[in-house]
Amino acid sequence: MTEKKIVEIKNLTKTYGTRGFQTKVLKGIDLMIFEYDFIAIMGPSGSGKTTLLNILSTIDKPTQGSVFLDGRDISKLKNRELSKLRRDKIGFIFQDYNLLDTMTLQDNIALPLSLNGEPAKTCIAKTQELAEMFGLEKHLNKYPYQLSGGQKQRGSACRAMITNPEIIFADEPTGALDSKSSRDLLDCLSAANEQRNATILMVTHDAFTASYAKDVYILNDGAMKCQLTRGKSRKDFYDRIVDMQASMGSDFS
Amino acid sequence: MSITKLAYLNFKQNIRNYLSLIISLAFTILIFLNFQNLLYSDSMDVLGKMNKQNVEIIIRAVTFVLGCFMFFFIWYSTNVFLSRKKKEIGIYIFMGLTNQRIGKLYMLETMMTGLAAMVLGVGFGILTTQLFQMILMRISDISAEIHFQISLEPILISAAVYLVIYLIFVLKGYINIVRSSVLDMVSASRQNEYVKQRIPVLAVKSILGVGILGTGYYLAVKEGGMEVMGNVMAAVVLVVIGIYLLFGGLIPMIFQQLAKRKNFLYKKERNLWINNMVFRIRKNYRTYAIVCVLMLCSVTALATSFAMKQRYDGITHFRNTYSFQVMSAEDHLENDIADIIEKKNDIDYQTKIQILNLDSSYFDTKYQDAAYGLMAYSQVKQLAQDAGLPFDLKEPKDDEIIDVSRLYLLSIITDHSEEEVTINKKSYKETAETSEPYLGYLQELTSSYFIVNDAEYERLSSLGQKMYVYNYRLKDIYNTKASQSELRAYTEGKASSGTALVTIDPNSSDIEWIKVMYSFCVFMFMVFILASGCILFMKVYNDAFEETERYGILRKIGIADRTLKKAAQKELRFAYASPFVVMAVSSYFSVHALAKMMNTDLLGIQLISIAIIFVFFYLCYRLSLAVYLRNV
Repeated sequence: MTEKKIVEIKNLTKTYGTRGFQTKVLKGIDLMIFEYDFIAIMGPSGSGKTTLLNILSTIDKPTQGSVFLDGRDISKLKNRELSKLRRDKIGFIFQDYNLLDTMTLQDNIALPLSLNGEPAKTCIAKTQELAEMFGLEKHLNKYPYQLSGGQKQRGSACRAMITNPEIIFADEPTGALDSKSSRDLLDCLSAANEQRNATILMVTHDAFTASYAKDVYILNDGAMKCQLTRGKSRKDFYDRIVDMQASMGSDFS
Repeated sequence: MSITKLAYLNFKQNIRNYLSLIISLAFTILIFLNFQNLLYSDSMDVLGKMNKQNVEIIIRAVTFVLGCFMFFFIWYSTNVFLSRKKKEIGIYIFMGLTNQRIGKLYMLETMMTGLAAMVLGVGFGILTTQLFQMILMRISDISAEIHFQISLEPILISAAVYLVIYLIFVLKGYINIVRSSVLDMVSASRQNEYVKQRIPVLAVKSILGVGILGTGYYLAVKEGGMEVMGNVMAAVVLVVIGIYLLFGGLIPMIFQQLAKRKNFLYKKERNLWINNMVFRIRKNYRTYAIVCVLMLCSVTALATSFAMKQRYDGITHFRNTYSFQVMSAEDHLENDIADIIEKKNDIDYQTKIQILNLDSSYFDTKYQDAAYGLMAYSQVKQLAQDAGLPFDLKEPKDDEIIDVSRLYLLSIITDHSEEEVTINKKSYKETAETSEPYLGYLQELTSSYFIVNDAEYERLSSLGQKMYVYNYRLKDIYNTKASQSELRAYTEGKASSGTALVTIDPNSSDIEWIKVMYSFCVFMFMVFILASGCILFMKVYNDAFEETERYGILRKIGIADRTLKKAAQKELRFAYASPFVVMAVSSYFSVHALAKMMNTDLLGIQLISIAIIFVFFYLCYRLSLAVYLRNV
């Protein structure tokens, strides 16, 4: 691949606890994410998925090793720079949507951009564009409580993408959705990815969700166990992921 | 774990969570207790019986106001307890507790919180009684010996009033819990639905609000005669309703409209705080309105007390213009009287004027008086010069007249234009009214006095009887007693020529209670301002807990703390500024109306009180912001 490097993880280690009672959660992870990748990280509970995502999204700091985001080592950045980095380079999608219940969907989507001081016109245009892409244009004036889970999650994906981030981190994006809504969301995300609009890193334990990614990494006990790459068929990819899960035998839930 | 133990644990938690609320409740009891104590202490005895009675009436009125205030305050705080508690109640229900048991739990822990506040309030109340009385006497400018003294009655009364009100609301909460369904309680924590309110409803409210408020303002400043009192009453009610509708209608409507205009909304931090405001104001508008009304009351109370004080000083000055006044039909007595006075006193200045006493049958005026006196313009001018009183009246024309009135404590008649006076079928236009004490205390007595020009005076002089008034002011005005008996003997000797002595003891004053009222008003002003600051502060403090989750989300999606701080700043600024601005505008009208009734200029005191509130609110705002940012 000759694409631009977005994230480079080198020998990432994370330990929790005090001396003598330490637990190694991440044991030397290496990973490269290039522009327009769509990566899923799978793993059983306690495998370190969330810790990895927290470190990548600059909420947590690594014990050892380094993480380069957009060419800069995030463990060496100051707080203000980190928050600027989060604001400009990263988009987030959460399991529980995390839309603000005080504002309409349109305002929710436009929020990061409008707080960044972009002209109002740009905010409105981009919100409209993304809403159309995610099939939400009819729901823009509704409040989150008036929307279904799927609509909320697609809204939150729009919010993540509106700042044109270098990478989108999605933490169990389909965790709270039914299969139909999951499919809708994942279709939209992979369409965005295909149209070279977004680089996505997704954490999930669901094989079906993972099968929408181009590459799946399986994390177990703090280390990368294997990597699967999608071929032509998503169905086939899904079977391979399920087989792999079965062969590992761990508790995937 | 028994219910009582659980309630105790919750209560300990409450103390930490609601410290500000408990302290405020305690403070209310403290103030209430202190005022009650005044009724039972002997510190007011120095004022004399009449004044003491008046002061007691005022204290009872103040107690009533404080009682009402306590009522609302307890209502508000028990509501806070209840809504916060209701969120946890869902958990208890799933644990299998019945509504009754949960209600009992709520009652127990709320009672404990209430009792803690009472113990604090009464305890500190007792400790501060002496200080309170000392401050009160100091502001009132009354010298009295204050010693520590507390009787049981005020304590019992304050505690009883507080407990009864508190119990009522605790019971209300209990019934509320017992009657509510599981679903209600569980969803009490997430009643965030219906963020927006319907525009037609808001529009009707806004139009009504603006209309009612406008009418209130208009009535407050409208000039008139006897109907002014009714107008003022109506204005008070209308302004209060108007303020409620303003916060419940117009302001939410403006914000909702702003939130719709995306070109406006997507600039700076507006997207965040304006949407938040729309969401909040639905629940908070009553608080803003209460605070606004409370502040309006306090500004008006302060202005009233200030005007009263001014009046008091004015009346004292008025009455002390002359120490002795002798009225007689005989001319040329001035030197005789002066000789008598100078035996024991030094004269500061003396004046003399001729008055034409006319029978009331010649007169036709708007407000009928028993006796009338006329004075010639040039003589009054001379008198003013002799006594060193200001004189800026223009000489009246043949058909013009100047009213010389007394200084009223309060006059409800505000419309003085175009009044006509008819003397012996000739009508005169009243061109001016003066309350300079040209005739001293005499001016306060039963007659009405007017000034006409010299020619008219001569023309009318055949109608009535000419009297001479000899006025003397002593160098030491408190030494009237020394010359009084001899003067009295002198005037009694001349009783056949209608000679009479008028004097007033400068030490005794039947209006001393005004000074006490003044200090009460100053005190109430401080209490109300403190209370409104507290209410807003607590509101913001409570909101911060609800905002925690929202701010968490914002941080997660990478919104910088600085941006969040700015948004919070704007939101809080609005919470403090909006009641303040509405109050400032409304107070202009209320104080204006007051100034007219009291016939003084109160703009200065109004500006000062607004400035004080501004400073206090600014401090509250800074503190709120710090607490808010720490909690969210």
